[in-house]
Amino acid sequence: MKLGTSRRSDALKVRKLFRKTRFGFFSLFGVVVLAISMLSIRTVSRELEDEYISNSESIAKNIADSSVDILLNRNLATLQSLIDQFVQIQSIRYIYITSDTGEFLAHTFVPGIPDQILESDPSSTEPVERSISGMGDFVEVGSPILSGVAGTVHVGMDLELLGLKIRRAMGQQIALLCIILVVGVLASIWLVNLASKPLSDLLGYVAQLARARAGDAPPQEAILVRDDEVGDMARLIQYAATRQEDSESRSGSGT
Amino acid sequence: MTRAKPRDGTTGTTKSACETFHMTRRSLLRSAAGVLLGAPLAGRLAAGTPAAPYVLRGRTPSRPIQDDEIVLGVSAAFSGPSRALGTELYRGSMAYFNHVNENGGVNGRRIVMKLYDDGYQPDPCVANTISLIQDPSVFLLFNYVGTPTVTRALPVLKKFRDEQMYLFFPFTGAEPQREPPYGEFAFNLRASYRQETAGLVNNFLDIGRRRVAVFYQNDAYGRSGWAGVREAMAAHGETMAGEATYTRGTQFGSPMRDAVEILQARSPDAVICIGAYQACAAFARDAEMLGLHIPVANVSFVGSENLLGLMRENHEEPDAHTRWLVNSQVVPSYEDRSLPAVREYHELMDRYDPPPPSSDEVDRINEGEPYETVPRSFVSLEGFVNAKMITEIIRRMGDRPERSGIAEAVFQVRNYDLGVGERVRYGPDRRQGLQRIYYTVPEGDRFVSLDDWQARFGVS
Repeated sequence: MKLGTSRRSDALKVRKLFRKTRFGFFSLFGVVVLAISMLSIRTVSRELEDEYISNSESIAKNIADSSVDILLNRNLATLQSLIDQFVQIQSIRYIYITSDTGEFLAHTFVPGIPDQILESDPSSTEPVERSISGMGDFVEVGSPILSGVAGTVHVGMDLELLGLKIRRAMGQQIALLCIILVVGVLASIWLVNLASKPLSDLLGYVAQLARARAGDAPPQEAILVRDDEVGDMARLIQYAATRQEDSESRSGSGT
Repeated sequence: MTRAKPRDGTTGTTKSACETFHMTRRSLLRSAAGVLLGAPLAGRLAAGTPAAPYVLRGRTPSRPIQDDEIVLGVSAAFSGPSRALGTELYRGSMAYFNHVNENGGVNGRRIVMKLYDDGYQPDPCVANTISLIQDPSVFLLFNYVGTPTVTRALPVLKKFRDEQMYLFFPFTGAEPQREPPYGEFAFNLRASYRQETAGLVNNFLDIGRRRVAVFYQNDAYGRSGWAGVREAMAAHGETMAGEATYTRGTQFGSPMRDAVEILQARSPDAVICIGAYQACAAFARDAEMLGLHIPVANVSFVGSENLLGLMRENHEEPDAHTRWLVNSQVVPSYEDRSLPAVREYHELMDRYDPPPPSSDEVDRINEGEPYETVPRSFVSLEGFVNAKMITEIIRRMGDRPERSGIAEAVFQVRNYDLGVGERVRYGPDRRQGLQRIYYTVPEGDRFVSLDDWQARFGVS
């Protein structure tokens, strides 16, 4: 060890000792955050999609159940009024009701029914993703009215809005994990510093001891009263130094 | 909020038929001025220039029933793109009620309208209807405007069925207020959209225009008309040639190119529009511009004079621009002075020229743009005829009219001559008084009767 260096450089040497530890901490945190992020993105995305489709199906079923009497009474104005109320729900972009023969009885399209819808199977109730030019991307679900003999309700949910919701949820999760990562890293630096400080003190004591032998002021002996391993080591070093001095003075007086 | 005295001044000789409620400081100041200037105001009223009445939005506190008046609750469009409809309907009714009130009222009671603005939007209409039903001073509901609004108000009437509140003469020809489960809560005077569209379809088919398409407002009103066209076409073994829609509230300035192109692709022989005047005028404008030279028909709700006014405005050749228009009406032409009701309409509209209703809130929604009244219109004539009919029904209820006696009084009307060339008849199974449809085409800046479809629109 090179003597006569400042306490600051002594501390740097201690940091070097913990460099790998710190790197290990950071890497571990990074892997944990990445893994949790990926898992949560996957979970959130899947759950939101499932919930979206489930809500759409509930709405479609609700309309289908409410439409039976209205359809049987041929009251299409009331039917339109009914779907107009549902289409005010944020995520619903369109609703249309087809008869058992496939005729469009009521819908919410402006200025007209898109060709993709006109060409689709009006009795299908399976969830299907549609990309309609000029309107966007949708997931469409259907529900039969009176088991399909009175027609079918189709509800189109905005996939763009779903994507936005997923991105927003993911963003929130990732932001939280990033905050945890930063706090973890800062905490690990603080803990490493906490662990390295006694070593740094010991290093300083040894340096002072060495300089005292060269004629400088005697070292501060506060470290010698510590009751931990660093105190034991300081006392051991002091003992060794004293023994060294005694030995040197004995051999000097003998010559 | 406090109720101010009516704007009829203190003399009691002339009475405005519209109740005045005051909501803001400005309104209160105006009301105070009205009371303070009672005598001059009465003079103005006597001269036939009543001050603008107030129209309300949202809930207002009710007030005790007055022995000397009958209050009719109104929720209609006094703001927004369809305000001409609510305003002209109101003006027509007001002309007649002013006349009735000036002559001692009905069995000693003035007829007063309590106005609420719904802007032709369903949710405000529902809120207004609840307020009006819960207001003990309101005797019945009158002159509602529009299908999307009325179809949502009908369940409210059913919910409060114990109140025995009836809706009279809504300005819509839709079916929900004519059929179960809500038909029992409403009485209609005008013919239905089903009758109007059937008449238009029949006439088009008769002259060889078999490919009939529909352009409609995408709501309950549009769907009602769409269903009427579909049914009428089906009766002849035909189907609609095509359809295109627009969103309620669309303004005249909006492009309708997409809708026109959708229909153009289906090569129709005629288009029936089920909409309001702003959007239908925009459609007719763009159809002309894109070379769709076929008859463009509108039903009575459109507001013919407002439609024509928009289409002729700033146009170098307005007659050529409106050449293909044909409108169905549910009242006779206001130019047909051979009819007693039309003569009376002219006389009372000239005498009173009722101002449009207003309020700070309505003015704000209308962006301070003053409404220009239309001297004569089918809509105000319908309002006038509605007022005549309701006055007769109230008269038949005697000195102490009660809600429980309303239906019975209506059913007594079995062969009543309203002065429109068609007698009015009601019954438990007949809740629509008039049945006749009239067809009109533009001639200059007015609509006149269409007598020869073949000559005007026949396929050569």
